[in-house]
Amino acid sequence: MKLTYQRLLPYLFLSPSLLLLAVFVYGPALENIVYSLFSWSSMNPDWRYVGFGNYRHLFSNHIFWASLVNNTLYAVISVAVQVFVALGIAAVLDARVFKRRLVYLFRTTFFLPSILPVTVVGLLWQLIYQPTLGLIDQLLFATGLDSLSRVWLGEEQTAMLAVIMVSQWQWTGYMVALFMVSIAAIPRDLYEALEMEGASRLQQFRYITIPGVREATLILTVITIFGAFKVFDIVWVMTAGGPNHASEVLGTHMYRSAFRDDVVGYASSVATVIFFITICVGMVQLKMQRDR
Amino acid sequence: MARDVPSAVSRGGHGPAYFALLFIFWLLTGVSIYPLMWLVISSFKTSAEMFGNAWAFPESWQWGNYLKAWNAGISRYIVSSVIVTVASVILVVVLSAAASFALVVLKFRGKAIIYTAIIGGLVLPPEVSLFPLFKTLNFLGIYNTYFALILPYVAFGIPFSTFLIRAYMVKIPGELAEAAVMDGAGPFWTFWHVYIPLCRPILASAALIQAMRSWNEFIFALTFVESESVKTITIGMMSFANALRSDWAVLMAGLVISVIPIMVTFLVLQRQFIGGLTQGAVK
Repeated sequence: MKLTYQRLLPYLFLSPSLLLLAVFVYGPALENIVYSLFSWSSMNPDWRYVGFGNYRHLFSNHIFWASLVNNTLYAVISVAVQVFVALGIAAVLDARVFKRRLVYLFRTTFFLPSILPVTVVGLLWQLIYQPTLGLIDQLLFATGLDSLSRVWLGEEQTAMLAVIMVSQWQWTGYMVALFMVSIAAIPRDLYEALEMEGASRLQQFRYITIPGVREATLILTVITIFGAFKVFDIVWVMTAGGPNHASEVLGTHMYRSAFRDDVVGYASSVATVIFFITICVGMVQLKMQRDR
Repeated sequence: MARDVPSAVSRGGHGPAYFALLFIFWLLTGVSIYPLMWLVISSFKTSAEMFGNAWAFPESWQWGNYLKAWNAGISRYIVSSVIVTVASVILVVVLSAAASFALVVLKFRGKAIIYTAIIGGLVLPPEVSLFPLFKTLNFLGIYNTYFALILPYVAFGIPFSTFLIRAYMVKIPGELAEAAVMDGAGPFWTFWHVYIPLCRPILASAALIQAMRSWNEFIFALTFVESESVKTITIGMMSFANALRSDWAVLMAGLVISVIPIMVTFLVLQRQFIGGLTQGAVK
């Protein structure tokens, strides 16, 4: 009796979590792969097995490829800004260039956008991008650059970039705070030793800060890429993938296919592609997090 | 010696490089917060004034915009968000702490596999489970209820908070648990009266992180509920915006109202907030 109790005890603590994960996370993720092998819609109760038919359709759909390109662009810009620019900002804030109070002020104001709900950020920037009335155009008019004004979210050339920039606005400060945590963990005497030898701030950055945050940089790069390939919310709020699919990403392509075009089997195949991309990126992340 | 080396920023005296940096950082500060200040200032204007000078303060402060926005139903969305957030935070923290306790203190086979199975959830984006989850929730009869959000939020929140809490519990000396057992304490007592109090700082971080996730969550909230009475603030604001496309000032007042709770908390508890939210991602 006692023995069985002892044996079962750990599962008493673990089973609620495992059960929830199985029912709401893993089960559905696997089911989704099955869904993607059928042609079905919410209106039509008949499921027709089509094998890889949805995938053939997917790979010959130019909207899918355009979405993939947009996700890649999202990833590249986000890594450049949220990892590399953020690291630079964090290094300057940490280097005691500014007075401590100023450092806190900068850190807090940069961090602020990251706590806002994505809907608020999306709607706010829709207003900012608004032609004529919006803040961007007002700024252009005030500086005599009227000719640059355009319908930022309504033109195919600018819509995607306009949305990506909002993501950078929202998340760079958060990444700065993460880098500051990582830089603060570097032993101070390393800097002092190099300074004694007459090294400049830039040299200290090059030879101590960069090697010191190498691991954090890798992890944050992976997390950023992960985020760029599963992005949905900000795009859905701001452009819903438009105009004419110019800002379509995999997430919005999937959502529209299911809930607007009602080809759920096809949408599931898009979800499976997202699944494979993120799992490849995620495996790297998981390995790094476990190795620590 | 130091002057032999070209230095970008010299210590003590403020060279041109210092002022260049200072300028850049103030510029970045402006970029970060001016959009929010513009939102607040514009929310007090009349719609007509909006077409005028974007930089000017309102002629007279239109508090009525706030009244209109509030009466348009924002309070309902806030109530839903509070319910969903509080419930999911409590469940995530308690369940993750329990799982971590088992993983750290109790002895059983297959520990590594179970740990991997739990934190493996970190690499699954919610999109991937969306359609099957939709069906599951219908099957369980909880579609369009608070549970349709709470349960998935908890399930998707457990991996990260278990990752955080376990890493913290590992550092608690095992002798504490042994001593408690020697005194005749059962595992539940040890969990609740020894480990929970000792883990308070990390539990607070985990709770804060989950609160932000639940409060801001988008795709599930968009898909799993449809009644206005159940919609959370993130999705509610979209209905709100659609209804108010033409009335900018009221829309902006609504946006301000929707962020006041979180903004005030942030400004009061900046240090704890930033410290808590940056837990775990990097060392």
